[in-house]
Amino acid sequence: MLTKVQSERFFIGSIMLAFAALIMATVGIKPQLFQNLQFLILLVSLLLVIWIGFKAGKFEIITNRLRIRAMGWLIAATFSAALWSFAQKSTQLLFPALKEFRKIWNTFEPFALFATVVCILFALLLFIVGSRDSKLERPGFIERSLVNNLSSKIAALPMVLTAVGVFVIATLWTVYHSFTNSRMLPKSEFIGFAQYERLWSSDRWYMSIENLAIYGICSLIFSLFIGFMLAALLDQKTRFENTFRTIFLYPFALSFIVTGLVWQWILNPDYGVEKIVRSLGFESFVFNPLYDIDIVIYGILVAGLWQGTGFIMCLMLAGLRGIDQEIWKAARVDGIPMWKTYIQIVIPMMRPVFITTLVIIAAGIIKVYDLVVAQTSGGPGISSEVPAKYVYDYMFSAQNLGQGFAASTMMLVSVLIVLIPFAYLEYGRRKHA
Amino acid sequence: MNSIEIKKLSLNFGEVVVLKDLNLTIEKGEFLVLLGASGCGKSTLLNCVAGLLDVTDGQIFINGQNVTWLEPSQRGIGMVFQSYALYPQMTVKGNLSFSLKNAKLSKDEIEKRVQNASEILQIEDLLKRKPAALSGGQRQRVAIGRALVRDVEVFLFDEPLSNLDAKLRTDLRVEIKRLHQKLDNTMIYVTHDQIEAMTLANRIAIMRDGLILQLDNPKTIYNFPVNKYVAEFIGSPGMNFLKGAILPNDKPTFKLDGGWCESPDLSNYMFYEPIKTETQAWLGIRPENVVFGDDAKNMPVKFSLEVEVVEPMGANTLVWSKMGGQEFRFMVDGNTTLSIGERVTVGFDPVHSSVFDLDSEDRL
Amino acid sequence: MPNLSLTQNHEDPRGPKPRKILSRRNIILYGTLIFVAIYYLIPLYVMIVTSLKGMPEIRLGNIFSPPIEVTFEPWVKAWAQACTGLNCDGLSRGFWNSVKITIPSVFVSIAIASINGYALANWRFKGANLFFTILIFGAFIPYQIMIYPLVILLRDLGLYTKLPGLIIIHTIFGMPILTLLFRNYFTTIPEELFKAARVDGAGFWGIYFRVMMPMSLPIFAVAIVLQVTGIWNDFLFGVIYTKPANYPMTVQLNNIVNSVQGVKEYNVNMAATLLTGLVPLAIYFISGKLFVRGIAAGAVKG
Repeated sequence: MLTKVQSERFFIGSIMLAFAALIMATVGIKPQLFQNLQFLILLVSLLLVIWIGFKAGKFEIITNRLRIRAMGWLIAATFSAALWSFAQKSTQLLFPALKEFRKIWNTFEPFALFATVVCILFALLLFIVGSRDSKLERPGFIERSLVNNLSSKIAALPMVLTAVGVFVIATLWTVYHSFTNSRMLPKSEFIGFAQYERLWSSDRWYMSIENLAIYGICSLIFSLFIGFMLAALLDQKTRFENTFRTIFLYPFALSFIVTGLVWQWILNPDYGVEKIVRSLGFESFVFNPLYDIDIVIYGILVAGLWQGTGFIMCLMLAGLRGIDQEIWKAARVDGIPMWKTYIQIVIPMMRPVFITTLVIIAAGIIKVYDLVVAQTSGGPGISSEVPAKYVYDYMFSAQNLGQGFAASTMMLVSVLIVLIPFAYLEYGRRKHA
Repeated sequence: MNSIEIKKLSLNFGEVVVLKDLNLTIEKGEFLVLLGASGCGKSTLLNCVAGLLDVTDGQIFINGQNVTWLEPSQRGIGMVFQSYALYPQMTVKGNLSFSLKNAKLSKDEIEKRVQNASEILQIEDLLKRKPAALSGGQRQRVAIGRALVRDVEVFLFDEPLSNLDAKLRTDLRVEIKRLHQKLDNTMIYVTHDQIEAMTLANRIAIMRDGLILQLDNPKTIYNFPVNKYVAEFIGSPGMNFLKGAILPNDKPTFKLDGGWCESPDLSNYMFYEPIKTETQAWLGIRPENVVFGDDAKNMPVKFSLEVEVVEPMGANTLVWSKMGGQEFRFMVDGNTTLSIGERVTVGFDPVHSSVFDLDSEDRL
Repeated sequence: MPNLSLTQNHEDPRGPKPRKILSRRNIILYGTLIFVAIYYLIPLYVMIVTSLKGMPEIRLGNIFSPPIEVTFEPWVKAWAQACTGLNCDGLSRGFWNSVKITIPSVFVSIAIASINGYALANWRFKGANLFFTILIFGAFIPYQIMIYPLVILLRDLGLYTKLPGLIIIHTIFGMPILTLLFRNYFTTIPEELFKAARVDGAGFWGIYFRVMMPMSLPIFAVAIVLQVTGIWNDFLFGVIYTKPANYPMTVQLNNIVNSVQGVKEYNVNMAATLLTGLVPLAIYFISGKLFVRGIAAGAVKG
């Protein structure tokens, strides 16, 4: 009924399924059904192994081609079994030193148990496959997944765990819990869109969005414009190019905290720019953005531009340098003025650079947090709040996790709106190339 | 005994079929050249033999052992790459001994083998240098040395001379030939350069689209190409093709389209099978088999044409002209003076020609 | 015959074309550049000047004037006495915390990411690209959405507010960009070199340690520069995943400067700010081109 390949595929598939069930049970999405589902699925895969072995009809250890690999999996099974045993009370009684890391062992306990079972299954299967396929044809499905290129798969494990375990699961977790009434602790009681309704009826959130929009649009326009102008100026075979570049870029090495504090000081009305201009004779001069609720976000913008424009310039300069120098020669021979060459030829050619830069700036803008904290702490009042700060405050100060989750989900949505068309374009372009 | 045997080898990259059901047997001590235009699968085939690519189907045997699933280092091969692929941070000696250290050989043994290889290749003075301090030719010698120290039966060359300039290429070509004569190893050599192939090979395999079109010794391939593609690919300048039809009389003749000269008599031509019906075909004749002037008078086929372009190449001069709307080239002595627009009589013997079917382009 | 002596007249164009140093183009070009450069340098200048003045001078003078009386007292105070809440042992604690956080985080994150990048570039396996795409996508997702689940994870592991926990966090969030950096670099290394090493019998780790790593020292330097500045400048993770005793320098700096209690000592604040910026600035000026390469390659950091 099952062919060789099919049964092997089903085996790997059920292991994957069991793993997914285990993860779901651990991260808290655990309706009763999921509680021990993974072991049920493992049982199915054990039956599959027996089935494959029955079909193969032989089991030789000595002449087994994959003997060493199978032993390796057995050793891995021993290790995870040991890890599992560390979490058991009786072992901890024997070795009191283990008790100190109790929490770690307890977290790993279900995974270790799972890993032990899976490793033993793998080893069994390799013993069977290695005896069965002793006349060489081509490696079966199992062998290709469990033997070939194994070091690489193990080495990429941290990446896989980060990508799936953190980026995917953590994101889904937060999105899921944004529909609950979690306050101090995450709960799984579903309350639909109530958190979002509350979010969108909050003045503070509106202020945050508005600020982000102003900051975002201005910083996009200005940093692209200034960055490109500076890059174009530096690309004229300018002398001291390195010195200028070093000066334009150094703020980027500084943290947002440092940036925010310096500009807080420069824009200080009692000692900074306002005082100096007044002392020059313009007594009625007013320039105190950080204390004026209407323009405070521009005060932050000035600091943000100072910090980040050098970076944009660097990207633009790299883009300009990537353009075929013969374009310039051709334009010179044809007698086209330089500004025309830039607008009609060079900028269209740099479209990919502009798009990439745009996405980078956009993704950066949404994350703006440190700068605001350092420069104004969101003040005066709530006039310089931003979404990232809203999330932080609700999660860690206001003890209202649900609001924080809902706000951060909105941030994710806005990033996706920028990112998905970009990824689509990028992917489409690569497919054509 | 066979050194390498490839049975029903197939390789797909996703949907793309790169090699298909390929069979190839190479004898011990043979020098086999895989020749073809880029993208024909010759390098891919070599990488499969080396174990650097996993095959989709089929088997590879080296010295009677099935190596299909073995690691490259376990297959008893040495390999030389186009870009030399020397480890830049190691000295020449480090490069030569890297594989031996990986194989956990004793220090004395490593020393002995490195010494031996560097003597054969005359790179003893370079052992302490880094690859960056070597010239292209020296680098390629070291790369060959790296295969040599492994003391293996089979050498694989992946376009080893393509990165060198013309003069060095000729020098190293001879040296590789000497090395082969001295060591008597099996060698597989991938190249797109037909001169390298002709000079080095015991046998040449001409590949196209993942298939071997013709596998034979250089002379046979040159004189009896199995199809029009091989005929065009081998020989420089390329073969002339004249369109026409074979008339199957008791003395088969080739009726040229346009009928601008008498029909060549093909009774001395060795057909694979006797032609029974009138067949549309190409008649191919190499420029070096065409004679002109007084020599042409004794040829069975002769006609006159107008000189269009003259390309002096030193020893010979290549003359371009047109016949019945098709390009026609022929080779004359380098000292001959011909002026453009001059009418000359040329001729050839149909024995030296090749005839291909018009549709299938296979040799008849 | 034209007159020979006339054609050789020195007024005819001959030799290099004369160039005016003060051409209109040059004045506009360098004028703009110098103007912008001054704008960029002002905050640094203000920081230095303010930190060298005494408080009375600050109250009277303007922030741009150079100090009349140079004093290093604010620096000493910022380093050893500035207060955050009840603690009055200055920024030095934050500095050493940052050192303790940065060094292992940089080491671990680069070790893991370089091996990831190597596996992706040279030992591709089925599905690798999917995970890599997710990873790169993750670089753009706002951290805020992943913060809380990670708090729970670390709390379960008993590592919340502890140093190893923060190292894990930095490793995770540094991974996309570093992996991209290394993967892209390793793919530029000729594939034949990798093939040659395989024929020579080196395995996964052998090729990494003995062929790839020695060849990639520049990219390791780039990664170190990128990570040291990135981790040193981090604020968000520091404030979330550590407790006050372990706060990194940036968090402590913000607490010192923005604390509401007591009289504001602007000179001490600026000295503290400069002190915090000193490490990344030093790295920036020393590494030069490496820094530029790092941020250009790691553009997704955002």
